[in-house]
Amino acid sequence: MSELDAVPRQALAELLLTVADDEFVIGFWDSEWTGIAPMLEEDVAMSSISQDEIGHARALYELLAGLTDTDADAIAFGRPAADFRHAALLNHARTDWAFTVARRYLYETADAVRLAALARSSYAPLSELVTKMRREESYHLLHMDAWLRRLAAAAHDRLASALERAWPDAQAIFTPPAGEAALLEAAILPDPFAALHERWLGQLRPVFAELDLPIVSAAVPSDGRTRRTDDFAWLHGEFTSVAGSEAGATW
Amino acid sequence: MNETERAEAFYAHVGSGGKVEADDWMPDDYRAAVLKFVEMHANSELMGVLPEREWILRAPTLRRKLALTSKVQDEVGHAQLLYRVAEDLGKPREQMLADLMAGTTKFHNVFHYPTRSWADVGIIAWLVDAAAIVSQQALRDSSYAPYARTMKKICWEESVHIMHGRDVVLTMMNGTAAQRALVQDALDRWWGPLMQMHGPPTDPSKDKDLHWRIKAKGNEQLRQEFLSIYVPRIRELGLRIPDSELEYDEATGRWHYTEPDWDELRSVVTGHGPKSQERLAFRRFNHGQTQWVRDAVLAPAAAAA
Repeated sequence: MSELDAVPRQALAELLLTVADDEFVIGFWDSEWTGIAPMLEEDVAMSSISQDEIGHARALYELLAGLTDTDADAIAFGRPAADFRHAALLNHARTDWAFTVARRYLYETADAVRLAALARSSYAPLSELVTKMRREESYHLLHMDAWLRRLAAAAHDRLASALERAWPDAQAIFTPPAGEAALLEAAILPDPFAALHERWLGQLRPVFAELDLPIVSAAVPSDGRTRRTDDFAWLHGEFTSVAGSEAGATW
Repeated sequence: MNETERAEAFYAHVGSGGKVEADDWMPDDYRAAVLKFVEMHANSELMGVLPEREWILRAPTLRRKLALTSKVQDEVGHAQLLYRVAEDLGKPREQMLADLMAGTTKFHNVFHYPTRSWADVGIIAWLVDAAAIVSQQALRDSSYAPYARTMKKICWEESVHIMHGRDVVLTMMNGTAAQRALVQDALDRWWGPLMQMHGPPTDPSKDKDLHWRIKAKGNEQLRQEFLSIYVPRIRELGLRIPDSELEYDEATGRWHYTEPDWDELRSVVTGHGPKSQERLAFRRFNHGQTQWVRDAVLAPAAAAA
């Protein structure tokens, strides 16, 4: 699709950046559990999931790099914090295990809806990549579903309050990238994000009702992918500390 | 056969290269010695996670990020496997973790030191893992068969870590003057602990771990093997080893080196290293923070069983 017009090309770049940054940032936060998770078995599992996310981010950044004539590491490590486009849900620090489970469950379910749509994208390199990603993501979803149910049964209040905290910013996963209209017109994005949001809520409602978990009323914020926090500024400082320590150095 | 004859027959069996399985009869002192050895190894894997974990968020490229996270994850996996081997000898995992965090059991000297730059990540993965693999390869012949089998898997993964570590070091040595200086600084700091890592030479006739073939090679033999393989490789990259006495003696076929600081080793492994207490406190803190998860998830499972 090298013959892409400038308008959908720019919009595609924005779309790729939102998905890639989501995967990159959640992968970074949760990789912090490596070595200190609640149980050794879960430590290994959560680390695998984080590594999968970083791997997905790398593949998406590479796709984007091909469109914008740069390289994946430059996109990942060479941008100021303000240029990241991840959803506000991922602005929060790792926090505790309840928040990690709550955030991951909301993220995995929302991501599954988004990827199911992108698997039908008219832009073949994206639909092919997403098909591969979904194989790993379906395992993440099973794993987080098991944790959600376990904590709902054994630590209900902790989980419920973590979900209440994560919920408003989770809506930002469906904040559309700039240029959504052009993406829809070119069928790069088969469904509008507003429809994906409804689909996601439709899937969550029965699960939350079954487990007696709260759904807070919250709209999709228009600034959901541009708002940044001190937590993220700290994380950005960490992951650029070596990469940005000497101009021109290779690591 | 009385108890003494039974023990004599057992030691004759392991002395001639025989293997012991978890459900075989074994003398109490053999069981205690294997447990102590494996428990310290498991503790070391778990504590060895911490110095490198500090760099998981700072890895400078996507490829390094994946390699480092995967390496640290492997070590957590090794701890899990080794605690399982130790548990079968009669000590529950929670008790081993409690003893580790209380400072009553030990972990290897190299995990008591700070990491100061990205070059430390390379030196640890390359040389600390290389020194470890020299002894771990010998443990594949351990008389305690479950430990020997576990070491086969661990050795394979450690060999991947060494390649990752060497690549980090090589990339920096091929980089800028500042990068090369970071690597040399890291080597200068790690060389002492590396030379101490296998422990002081022991009298083989008095080293019961060796006598019972829990381990297959003596401390000095392991250090000599490490030097033979790695001194040329370190020098090949343009690095200077900080020991003016270090040289290979053709006549004896042995490396000569400055006597390692055995007082430092004893002090460090008994909890007086530069990072010993901070890392144990960090373990205790995180264990405490996640206690509610284990209580919530493991308690109902235990009640149902």
